[in-house]
Amino acid sequence: MTFQIMINLLMALIWMFMNDAWTFASFISGYAIGVAVLFFLRGFFPQRFYIGWIYAVVKLVFIFLKELILSAVEVVGQILQPKLNIQPGIFAMDIDLHRNWEVTVLSCLITLTPGTLVVDVSPDNQTLYIHAMHLPDIDKAKEDIRNSFEKAIQEVSRT
Amino acid sequence: MKSNDVILQTVANIVLFIILMFSVFLFFNGHHEPGGGFIGGLMTSSALVLLLLAYDLETVKRILPVDFKLVTAAGLLVAVGTGMGSFFFGAPFLSQTYDYFHFPVLGELELATALIFDVGVYLVVVGITLTIIQTIGEDR
Repeated sequence: MTFQIMINLLMALIWMFMNDAWTFASFISGYAIGVAVLFFLRGFFPQRFYIGWIYAVVKLVFIFLKELILSAVEVVGQILQPKLNIQPGIFAMDIDLHRNWEVTVLSCLITLTPGTLVVDVSPDNQTLYIHAMHLPDIDKAKEDIRNSFEKAIQEVSRT
Repeated sequence: MKSNDVILQTVANIVLFIILMFSVFLFFNGHHEPGGGFIGGLMTSSALVLLLLAYDLETVKRILPVDFKLVTAAGLLVAVGTGMGSFFFGAPFLSQTYDYFHFPVLGELELATALIFDVGVYLVVVGITLTIIQTIGEDR
């Protein structure tokens, strides 16, 4: 990804040199032409085309915002109830992520969405211990996290 | 059982650079706005202290093989040197001057001798803070 972005920036710079126009507009047009050329020659790179990677990052951000709003509404609902009928609990969840930053991002996303909280990470980075505010069904909670966050993060790190 | 610090370490690796950039920004802003050598030095030290918290003393020593007592000495030398430098122009000790210079790419810049003195302050603060923290941390 980084290599493709560097090449694209270099192409934009060369475009500015050729036109002798040192403006932001000429940089944008050169960058757009660079994107088109890279898309045409995307088979040369061992990694995937980097615009797809950017799309995956943006999608992860929007998934996070959606989950944040939904779970905040849920917590407000729990607080406003006269009687607390929650079952707190801690469950272990095996994750299929390998790099340090992936584990970190997943833990931060789980923690920032209210209702769930990462308590600990196992020493081999393969298990998260998660505390949930309301845990009627452990398997359902695991599936929710898998389908929302973990899939999106795997999509970002896919080469 | 040793706990797994993977989240702290990954976040510290990124935040470290933001703190360092902010400390340099504070250092150069000291002439006309709040900031300066002292607060910039403390900011830099706090970034390194964050590294010390996320990793351990040996790792940080391997990354930064600097003897911070020498940094303190160098900072004092720079500060005294700027004071001595005013003798060459027949001015009293520690007098300062500034002027506007024109650079080819950067344009008009104000250069002040007080900035060199601030470099000395910065080095002394970084050196002393990290010497204190490392000395306390080594006693197990």
